[in-house]
Amino acid sequence: MERDRLAAFLDQIATRYHLVAPVAEDGVVDYRRVDDARKVVLDELSTVPPKTHFFPQTEELYSYSTVTGLEIKEIVGAPAAVLFGVRPCDLKGFLALDPVFAGRFRDPYYWSKRERTIIIGLSCTTVQSTCFCQAFGGSPVDGEGADVLFTPLEAVYLVEILTSKGEQLAAEFSTFLGTEGVEEALRGKEALARELDGRFIRQVDLEGVKEKADRMFDHPYWRRLARRCLGCGICTFLCPTCHCFDVVDENRGDRTGLRVRCWDSCMFTDFTLHTSGHNPRPSKTERLRNRILHKLKYHLDRYGLHGCVGCGRCVAKCPVNIDITKVIAEIREVD
Amino acid sequence: MRDTVTQLRKEAARLLKEGSVKYVIGYAQGTDVARAAPFFATVPGQVNTLTWTPFCVPNLVKYLLDFRYEDARLAVVVKGCDSRAVNRLIQDHQFPRERVVVLAVSCGGMLDRDKVLAVVEPGAALLEVEDRGADYVLKTDRGEFVFEKREALLAKCLECVDNAPVVADLVVGRQVSPPGRPGVDRFAAVRALERLDAAARSAFWDRHFSRCLRCFACRNVCPACNCKECSLEQAVPGWQQGVCWLSKRTSLGLNHMFHLIRMYHVTGRCIDCGECARVCPVNIPLRELYRKVAKDANELLGMSLPGLDPEEKPLLTTYQATDPDEFM
Repeated sequence: MERDRLAAFLDQIATRYHLVAPVAEDGVVDYRRVDDARKVVLDELSTVPPKTHFFPQTEELYSYSTVTGLEIKEIVGAPAAVLFGVRPCDLKGFLALDPVFAGRFRDPYYWSKRERTIIIGLSCTTVQSTCFCQAFGGSPVDGEGADVLFTPLEAVYLVEILTSKGEQLAAEFSTFLGTEGVEEALRGKEALARELDGRFIRQVDLEGVKEKADRMFDHPYWRRLARRCLGCGICTFLCPTCHCFDVVDENRGDRTGLRVRCWDSCMFTDFTLHTSGHNPRPSKTERLRNRILHKLKYHLDRYGLHGCVGCGRCVAKCPVNIDITKVIAEIREVD
Repeated sequence: MRDTVTQLRKEAARLLKEGSVKYVIGYAQGTDVARAAPFFATVPGQVNTLTWTPFCVPNLVKYLLDFRYEDARLAVVVKGCDSRAVNRLIQDHQFPRERVVVLAVSCGGMLDRDKVLAVVEPGAALLEVEDRGADYVLKTDRGEFVFEKREALLAKCLECVDNAPVVADLVVGRQVSPPGRPGVDRFAAVRALERLDAAARSAFWDRHFSRCLRCFACRNVCPACNCKECSLEQAVPGWQQGVCWLSKRTSLGLNHMFHLIRMYHVTGRCIDCGECARVCPVNIPLRELYRKVAKDANELLGMSLPGLDPEEKPLLTTYQATDPDEFM
């Protein structure tokens, strides 16, 4: 696709689908519904990951009323959507989330949106100083998890159709796509991949980290690391693989109300607090350990997948510089 | 700034060696050139990790609260602005004066890391920093960089006309002059918002609050927030939700509620360290919100900046019959 046709392509999509894409507001990029393609931000990693599309921070499950008997109104169904501009690390994030929501109880809220959404990935053209997707087998041009991958080149986008959903989209909008120069574009993508490969500042070595993490639950390292933690939810809320939630009922006092599920964070004091008052993770030490081990061990134990995709958002935004790439190096070092 | 670092390390080693403090809470070089990380030195052998650079932005006083129910005595490194937080905790009986050793550093202003990273590669190693009054010279392994203070300092530092610590056991390093221009209007940003008409002001805060993730970073970093249990985070089951101000749900209305509750709670307590706005991951200009109340408290009730004097009574714990009450 010629680069200058992207806006028209997206506008065309927006007439038929619920189009969600990265937009900027006050220097913050997040994925929102867009109706004007000119607002789409193509050159930076979003502040908040696109998991919000499948797993929003607040999701109404149903409303209820007991005014005349019990009435429950379920909120079901999702619009046919196109999620545009998902970076390779965030695509990996979706793959890490999928098995969580496909366990013994298949989550209808997540999957209704997941199944009705066509994902257009977008290769990166720069490497930020906080990026380390390479460490987890990722690459700035890896389309795994996308239905279609766009790679920006000099004058064109290389458009790779990766799934049957992608084929459907390509067929529907075929007037925007051409096959001329595909060979050259593929070579261009390879050159881009090689160039970006050398631009990573953070070299993260995972050798032996899982094995070490398996044996260091009681290590004094966690207490040292957690001293400076503020216990805020930034790292978890901005993480493309964090998925904890809490279900809350809101009674309105007039015998109506709603049930919502909301993001929760293992960094919060009241996370999994028992009604007895017992707190299984009573201090920052246990809470931060839980988060780090979830990224480096528990997700691997449960699903055989890394719990971190190397997007670097927690590295960039942690107010006290708890940098998971340094944590990984320190885990390797400690006795 | 090398002398300051040397003296800081010497004093920290002395305190730890004589065993009079459990930790020296200071700064270590962070994981990129323009960042410092809070660091807890526990033994004299660790003091060489302590540093002092124009990136030591985090206010470390908040950490005292983690030890308020312990017997430990702690040393904490403060800038002039942070030192007001020490007084605030003393005023609120949250930390006894005798359990804290205040190591005050004379601060020439903190650099805006985004402005520095626009010029210096993040992976560069910071070797030395020179404070030349009007500018900082950063000496790195990739060369020397000069940053003019009036261009590259944080907004709060450009408003700082008095960097003297209000409480200190030891002033470390050479005295430097405050970076703010004398007579600067500390409330200029607030005044600009006040000039908007009500609809535009409402739209401004709606836009910002609608992005709020309720990650609680603003609350958790805030030295004015020193409650053991926060009124915004009481785990109650759904059927009791009515007794709570807020549920976990995010919505524009509830986000407004969250921020306005916090705004009222920090009235007379906010020392204007600006940490709330720094840590906010979605760029909500929280400092402007709290400074609006501070400005009103100053204009209506003659309140000065909280934390200047440990003996002063906090605004919301005092009452005078002559207080203006035309809104009642």
